[in-house]
Amino acid sequence: MLLELKDVWIHYHKVAAVKGISIAVEEGGIVTLIGANGAGKSTTLRTISGLKRASAGEIEFAGERIDRVAPEKVTKMGIAHVPEGRRVFPYMSVVENLEMGAYLRTDKRAIEKGYEEVFEHFPRLRERRKQQAGTLSGGEQQMLAIGRALMTDPKLILMDEPSLGLSPIMCREIAKIIRDLHQAGRTIVLVEQNARLALALAQKGYVLETGRIALEGDAKDLRENEQVKRTYLGM
Amino acid sequence: MDSATLIQTLLNSVVTSSVYALVAVGLAMAFGVMKMANFAHGEFFMVGAYTVYVLYQLGGFNFWVAVALAIPIVALLGVATERIIFRQTGANILAGFMATVALGFVLQVAVGRIWGVGLMKRIDTPYMGAADIGDAHVGWQRLLVIPCAIAMLIALRYFLYNAKLGKALRACAQDPEAAALQGINIRNMTMLAMALAGASAGLAGALMAPIAAITPYMGHGVILIAFIVVVVGGMASIGGAVIAAIILGFIHTFVATLTDSLIATMVGVGFMALTLVVRPQGLLGREKS
Repeated sequence: MLLELKDVWIHYHKVAAVKGISIAVEEGGIVTLIGANGAGKSTTLRTISGLKRASAGEIEFAGERIDRVAPEKVTKMGIAHVPEGRRVFPYMSVVENLEMGAYLRTDKRAIEKGYEEVFEHFPRLRERRKQQAGTLSGGEQQMLAIGRALMTDPKLILMDEPSLGLSPIMCREIAKIIRDLHQAGRTIVLVEQNARLALALAQKGYVLETGRIALEGDAKDLRENEQVKRTYLGM
Repeated sequence: MDSATLIQTLLNSVVTSSVYALVAVGLAMAFGVMKMANFAHGEFFMVGAYTVYVLYQLGGFNFWVAVALAIPIVALLGVATERIIFRQTGANILAGFMATVALGFVLQVAVGRIWGVGLMKRIDTPYMGAADIGDAHVGWQRLLVIPCAIAMLIALRYFLYNAKLGKALRACAQDPEAAALQGINIRNMTMLAMALAGASAGLAGALMAPIAAITPYMGHGVILIAFIVVVVGGMASIGGAVIAAIILGFIHTFVATLTDSLIATMVGVGFMALTLVVRPQGLLGREKS
């Protein structure tokens, strides 16, 4: 297992947002967490990347405990986080944003290759490389956020609601990019409210309900599950 | 106002603006990263001036050596402030406010205990004489503040926009959490911001030492103006702080020359109020997205 959460609890003050979840992510796969607003999906991702502390349980990445590790060290270990709401640096150019993704890397040639890879995935970012990130469209900002994450040279990418607020066309484009990244061998944990999109992309899924895992299994089984169909796919 | 007075006042305005800019830029930069103000910033300026007093006047060092040493000394004070105060207060704004106000008092009392409170310190002017520009007569000691301040501001700007660390500092100011996710250590960046804030305030104090009245309390007036400048410029905006420093430098100098300095302060505050009515986020302030 590349990433493993074992009975993880997460609290906001005294309120438990996540109540003992266990998740396993294999190398090279796409795993999705779906669920309603407030189910604890973003909280889980934020805890994996060290922005939030788990109050109990263990998180292991590539065989090492990371549940007490600071976010910048988690990034160094190989976990990139594409945060909810994109969170690009609005007053920096596209290139500067990517440069920040490569902050911890020192091998100049590898960084150059990183830029090339990002611009191959996102030709539009190459066109706008000098533009201030805050002036990009929502979809372009999402591309930049994903590109910035790629620049950290991650073993695992956490994506929080990449389709949020995007047009259907842009959603399809983001979906294609996620598929491309998967084909290039990246491991992805995808958090989505758009369950249809998420289950189409992932091999494995977890359904979160108010901090607990209500269902888990192969994505294709979840797609056929009556409860999932009714609650999350609107069928 | 005759032409000699006009030229003289213009040059004095530029000198004043330079000092305001140096002091305010540091305050704005530290605020940008921490979202907290350092209320001991005026005392950083004072320590810069005292460094020159002690090294140059008492210690017999070369004036420029004393000025150059004031920069790292006050930068270290900035680093210490981050480690001892801001690292402990975290995001608690009230605690940060109280602790830095207290630090200001501690520095005032410490300096007063060591070098005396009473009469202001006299410093022999290293550069006597004055430049004759038209009919105006402006002391060299004043004029050399201008190129020093400009050099420091250009160096800062170059650092923030070209060096990797400088860019990381800007990233932290724009979104600390997102910066942490790129592997940037926020605490180190806060320390760096406080070091740069100290360096620029220290330089300003050092340059003003032969011109200003040196007392342990000289930071009071400075921080008041620095806050007005930073508010007018748009709290975390460094470019805004420079522009506001120029505007307020001119306003203060001209009004003080024509009337007196109390009215000048009132006009300056009035200008701030007016700015806030028209542009609540300040001249170059960024609205929260």
